[in-house]
Amino acid sequence: MKDQIVYYPERKQRPAKPFEPDDGGDDNNAPKRPDVNRPDTQELLKRMRRVDKDQSRRYRQRTGE
Amino acid sequence: MYRLFGIETEYGITLENAEQIDPVKESIELIKHYQCNHRFLPQWDYDGEDPFRDERGFRAKQLNNHPDEIEEEKKDRERFAEQPGRSFREIKSDRILINGARLYNDHAHPEYSTPECQNLFDLVAHDKAGERILQECAERRSEELGQRVLLYKNNTDFYGHSYGCHDNYLMAREVPFDYLKSSILPFFVTRQIFAGAGKIGIETEAGLATPGHFQLTQRADFFHVEASVDTMHKRPIVNTRDEPHADPAKYRRLHGIVGDANMSEYATALKVGTTTLVIELIEQRLIPKSFAIANPIDTIKVLSHDQTYRWMIQKADGKMMTAIDHQREYLALAQKHLAHQCDEADWVLTEWEETLNALEDDPMRLTDRLDWVAKKWLLETFVESEGIEWDDPWLQSIDLEYHNINLEDGLFYGLQMQRVISDEQVHTAMHTPPLDTRAYFRGKSLNKFEDAIRTVQWDSITFDIEGKPVTVNMNSLANPEIAQKYNEALDLSPNPQTLVEKLGLN
Repeated sequence: MKDQIVYYPERKQRPAKPFEPDDGGDDNNAPKRPDVNRPDTQELLKRMRRVDKDQSRRYRQRTGE
Repeated sequence: MYRLFGIETEYGITLENAEQIDPVKESIELIKHYQCNHRFLPQWDYDGEDPFRDERGFRAKQLNNHPDEIEEEKKDRERFAEQPGRSFREIKSDRILINGARLYNDHAHPEYSTPECQNLFDLVAHDKAGERILQECAERRSEELGQRVLLYKNNTDFYGHSYGCHDNYLMAREVPFDYLKSSILPFFVTRQIFAGAGKIGIETEAGLATPGHFQLTQRADFFHVEASVDTMHKRPIVNTRDEPHADPAKYRRLHGIVGDANMSEYATALKVGTTTLVIELIEQRLIPKSFAIANPIDTIKVLSHDQTYRWMIQKADGKMMTAIDHQREYLALAQKHLAHQCDEADWVLTEWEETLNALEDDPMRLTDRLDWVAKKWLLETFVESEGIEWDDPWLQSIDLEYHNINLEDGLFYGLQMQRVISDEQVHTAMHTPPLDTRAYFRGKSLNKFEDAIRTVQWDSITFDIEGKPVTVNMNSLANPEIAQKYNEALDLSPNPQTLVEKLGLN
């Protein structure tokens, strides 16, 4: 098992920087406000039609916190 | 944002096509499939936990429980009586992960508690890392079982059983609880207009009451009290559980139980970011009494159910206003007092304002950012395409599958939602603790000295040093400068003996 141990970097690494796809890497430490993306309706409809109609009927959980 | 915060999420669990499962058994088995690279599994120290302890200075005699749980707990007792080897610890199945998180069976749900973060986008990454870790567990368990395990990051089964996603914030103990309650409660009531995850149908704890009614939140139907220590039944908008997991003389933990589990990274960041700023205002005693809402218990539901999206509320002083303008009152105070503190706070202020403006103009502008809007768009698209009615039970299944954390099947993951973190950050968070909090001390200790750890708690680790227990009390590590010193000592220590020497513990 020892050879599977994950060695992660020491703390000298900089804290994770917030991500923005168009971020050119300037000094601003927060993402830019995004533009609206429109979903691909046809692909989503295919995904939704694959959903089992009875899934929520069968789905029973116990109360949690 | 210079404050420790974290998110606990209870996931829904089931097996594909199963009419009935044992959720306790499946949660335990799921967690066993966490691929731990460590042969030693340190034990969680339960001595530090007391869910009966109340912020108002007393200990509750009992906690309220959902009526169905009386029967369920009876079955639990019978089942465990048949399996005498199955101990309390095995049922809880606690795992402490090398990223500093806790993974365990909370009652009948697998729960992932993120490590403590003080950077908003670290927290979003660790919240998403929890999804990926649990999905990996599900895939391993599915392979063993020959049946797919399905996990849902949502808060209801549509039969009146809710489970939580709690956002937690460490804050100054010196803030009087009554002031905290009166200041945060109105904010929690109206926060749902951007933080809600959306739900088709209105529920009571007895079951589904009104199918087909789309509402803003998963959880609003389940809140019946302004403040109490309960979490399972007769839930309060402000939870009074007094477990700071830090120096109790200096800190309290705001245990926010009223929120939904968010799939959207943007919504998670906005929910936690705005709440963090409001807590900062509360600590500075800047929230006036005029923010109070007349009837918060009714209002939280009325807002969630409102089909007009005008979201009118009545203030305690009788004045009528919209929930958007109510949020703008908090926003204006934050802009006045908290702007230019750091890039993250400025990001939150900018996005908070933009979100409120968009909600006023046209909520559907936020289809790619807010969960409830994205889900509404999905459902509208499906209703129109399939020609079905809004009370068609298929829509409830669509709602559920929005929260499926499987990247291939989950409807959320078919959307082109705006991101605030990268996949690389999520992957890193699966194995690496936040570098600037005490979670690093926990995760790195486990990674480095696995054989020498006896027990772990949020605010302590007990090492075995030559057969004797030595406890590192991490109470003071809520202070980032002290956490830095402890973390540096850990980095420089080749063994636990050296570490405790460097910390002056022997």
